[in-house]
Amino acid sequence: MSSYMLVLVISGIVPLLASFYPPLKFYKNSRALLLSIAIILIAFGLWDIYATWRGHWQFDSASVWKWRVVNLPVEEVLFFVVIPFCSIFTWETVNYLKRMR
Amino acid sequence: MKEYTLISVAAAVLTVLIARKSASRLFERREFYIFLLIIVFFKLLVNGYLTSRLIVIYNPRFFLNVRIGSIPVEDFLFGFSMVTMTIVLWEHFKLGHSSRFG
Repeated sequence: MSSYMLVLVISGIVPLLASFYPPLKFYKNSRALLLSIAIILIAFGLWDIYATWRGHWQFDSASVWKWRVVNLPVEEVLFFVVIPFCSIFTWETVNYLKRMR
Repeated sequence: MKEYTLISVAAAVLTVLIARKSASRLFERREFYIFLLIIVFFKLLVNGYLTSRLIVIYNPRFFLNVRIGSIPVEDFLFGFSMVTMTIVLWEHFKLGHSSRFG
């Protein structure tokens, strides 16, 4: 596994598993989840493609897999799925804990 | 030109404008700031790792090269824009569709 992929797995695994915890079944709102993540993926993915093309940043080839989406390592694309998912999970958990108080 | 600086500031400003217009009123909710604090904590870990291990390498031509640890300050604007827009969109689609979960 690439270092970057390992970072994504470590970031996403707890939110993914915990999102199935019954009171937190926010994936039931799958339409909102998919739409939100899709829009972020496209908008920030386009920014990233532009920035990578311009040379704002580059990716260490030893730390990512060789597959690219346009000019982005597949890990960088997945970043825009994993982190929004973790964000929505965190947001829903904060709100859930507040309601429980 | 410090393009990354410029784009990240523009994205953050646009995010604030959109968030203030949206029905979810995130900036008026205390939970949103708790959420941001938690995100910043994990961001320091993830972004800190990616930048300190040079998995992502930045070109000083395009950013201020002011860093918090190894993380360019522009990354905080990028991150703020991304997570805030994520929640704005989530709340928007959630409110406009089906009921809130229990």
